[in-house]
Amino acid sequence: MSTDIQTLKSLDLFADLNFGELEQIAPLMHLMKVAEGEVLTRKGEPACTFFIILSGNFMLSFNEERSFTLHNKGNIIGLSTVVIPFRYTGTAVALTDGLVLLMQGQEFLRLIQSNSALGDKIMRKINKIVSERMPYMTGAWGKGGINCLALKQ
Amino acid sequence: MFGLEAIIAHDGLGISVIGISIVFVSLVLLSFAVSQIHKLIELWDKKNTSYQHLKKPQQKDQKTPSVSDLAIPQDVQRASRQFKLLIEWMGEPFPLPKLLDLSEKCGLSRPHSTINELLKCELIIPDENGYFIWNTQVEEKRSST
Repeated sequence: MSTDIQTLKSLDLFADLNFGELEQIAPLMHLMKVAEGEVLTRKGEPACTFFIILSGNFMLSFNEERSFTLHNKGNIIGLSTVVIPFRYTGTAVALTDGLVLLMQGQEFLRLIQSNSALGDKIMRKINKIVSERMPYMTGAWGKGGINCLALKQ
Repeated sequence: MFGLEAIIAHDGLGISVIGISIVFVSLVLLSFAVSQIHKLIELWDKKNTSYQHLKKPQQKDQKTPSVSDLAIPQDVQRASRQFKLLIEWMGEPFPLPKLLDLSEKCGLSRPHSTINELLKCELIIPDENGYFIWNTQVEEKRSST
């Protein structure tokens, strides 16, 4: 089942996109129900799918079992689908039942590469999220991690 | 006397006009009533929620339950004791995936959603380094109320 434009527009990742750009993305995104305890991504596996949370609560864990939790609509799982070397850097587990939008990584990458304006808008947002999550992946810690942000958003 | 003459003689035209008017007015009223049914249904649907909205402030006046009582369901309160034991055994700060793994191994029921509830209640809070700690302040508040 593909997604409607209004749902996409309400997501932070796509908030800057115009109607035409959202129309390009809509058929690529699919709705999926997630059950409590379900694993969406596994660390080290090829990053095939990109997820956007619509509802539910999720835990993302990285090296040395560092982790944070995601509780808000629009939070993203599977950033590695557009980041070299295209392997998941963390494991994502559903803490509760929920709904996610998913997109195949190849299609997402193709879309970003084929439309530079759209790609630029999306990649800016993704880069910001990657930089927030970087300490969890590298262990190099600055002050104020996302584990606080995720709960307060 | 037959036909039109008889009708006119017995005020048939007037009676038929009145009859038509009565039927027409009735139909107009009926159609108006039907057109307003959706509002009645809406009111009926909202009745319960509006009643709860009105009721809530009154209940607050009667009794002011503590925030922790409202926030933590009873089954989570029970589970929190078990999780606290696990956390004490692991030491703090602890990794959340390890707590999840341990709770699954110990056979605790629905560990994922329970951990989520504990996070929502802020009984488990993140430290600044990707690990988590048990929030004794919230626990103390809860036990003192």
